[in-house]
Amino acid sequence: MIEYRHVYKAFDRPVLSGVDLRVETGEMFALFGPSGTGKSVLLKTTIDLITPDAGDVCIDGESVYHGPPGALARARRQVGYVFQNAALFDSMNVFDNVSMGIPEEVLAKEDRLTTARKVWGALELVNLEPREVLGKTPAELSGGMKKRVGIARAIVGRPRILLWDEPTTGLDPVNTAAVERLIARLSRELETTSLVVTHDIEGGLEMCDRVAMLDGGHLRFCGTPEAFRASADPMVQAFVDRAAAERALDLAELETI
Amino acid sequence: MKPDATTQTSAPGPAVRALARFGRGSELVLDHAGALGTLAWQVVVSTVRLRVPRRELLRQIYIMGIESLPIVFVTGALAGIVTSQQGGYQMTGAIPLYVLGSLVVETVVLEMGPVLTAIVLVGRIGARITAELGTMKVSEQIDAYHSLGRDPVSLLATPRVLAGVIALPVLVGFADIVGILAGMVAARLDVGLGYESFLYGARLFWHSYDLVYSLLKALVFGLAIPLISIHMGLRTKGGAEGVGRTTTDAVMFMTLTILILDAIFPPLLLN
Repeated sequence: MIEYRHVYKAFDRPVLSGVDLRVETGEMFALFGPSGTGKSVLLKTTIDLITPDAGDVCIDGESVYHGPPGALARARRQVGYVFQNAALFDSMNVFDNVSMGIPEEVLAKEDRLTTARKVWGALELVNLEPREVLGKTPAELSGGMKKRVGIARAIVGRPRILLWDEPTTGLDPVNTAAVERLIARLSRELETTSLVVTHDIEGGLEMCDRVAMLDGGHLRFCGTPEAFRASADPMVQAFVDRAAAERALDLAELETI
Repeated sequence: MKPDATTQTSAPGPAVRALARFGRGSELVLDHAGALGTLAWQVVVSTVRLRVPRRELLRQIYIMGIESLPIVFVTGALAGIVTSQQGGYQMTGAIPLYVLGSLVVETVVLEMGPVLTAIVLVGRIGARITAELGTMKVSEQIDAYHSLGRDPVSLLATPRVLAGVIALPVLVGFADIVGILAGMVAARLDVGLGYESFLYGARLFWHSYDLVYSLLKALVFGLAIPLISIHMGLRTKGGAEGVGRTTTDAVMFMTLTILILDAIFPPLLLN
């Protein structure tokens, strides 16, 4: 379970103004909102990639910011983070990139063959052919492949929580649909708690158990996808209508391929 | 009618504005100093705990040391030649010509070797490190290290700082040797000073401490260049434009630091 308690963050202006949100264990949760409303900032506060000015984040009841020594390290071990642009290490090949997802203390104890098996398995889980990609550097991969390697790196350590920062941004409709199916399958197969920040409203509504909308630093909506679709809030409705229109465009594009 | 004191605000005067600028400048300097001190401390801690990836350390020594040799040879040789030519020009008079040997050796060893090598490495290595780490910062690779429970200081900063501390004294040693040899050849060609006379002059005023001083300078420069470039790289914001801006700032910062340190050395160590 991830719990955000009165999370405040300001840069030049306030971005998060006291956000309270609770993602239950095993739940798939999508976070929507206009650009610049702090969705990714909230996600990054989960494991102190951005430190909130006030408030706290708890993972399974343990405070990340006010907990006992080692709380942050424990939180990071439990969380797999998928970055918007994959954030693969340029100087490493795919094998080294993915193996970085295995905790250091585990890597130190296991032999190279066990590590290789884990990396191989993670790449297969994200539908990549390990033989083809293991020796390649990120520069030699397509955008979709980079995303998948980034996902493999996030899941190889078998985290209990997966945080997805706009995983389909910059992908074409085919790859977007494929990555969305992958997110849903991985969350189910690995039995993880997933929090997905996305602009793909339809995708988020289809795959998640609950959704929320951030606006102006506050949580504007939180509930089931059905409640989201039925919401009378004009902003939520605008998002639903826009999402339907975009999905129709995507389908039309898919039919032409 | 008298103006309403509660609604009117007067613009700050020049003194207040100057004070505000001074305050902002001081805050920036303290901010950089604090962050640099913290980074240096973290590098020391990870070194003491032997948390330095050996492969990365060797790679950095190769990049900073071996790959910098050609440019360091050229710079050292030119420094020796120019010193010899200018010294020769000024000594065509009452001063015995063999003193030129001493002038070339002392200038190259005490000043030109360490400073020019450091300035060259600011451009070759410092800019590279800032751009590399800056790109990693804006593309979230540094965040990725944190999210994976890895320490970017141990993995990225410490190998680069240690490589700088190891490579720079060696490079300066080579620059000194090449500079002296080139100066010796230039002295013969330019003013007809024989090799034996050149070496006689060089030995006349030579102190072994001069070499220690030269290498000590190199050691400090070797620490300063990677430390500042890493510090600046990790502060990069704002995409490709930010990387460019930070790299330029870092080069300025490093060059100024080298020159300031160079000015501090003589009163501290040559008196």
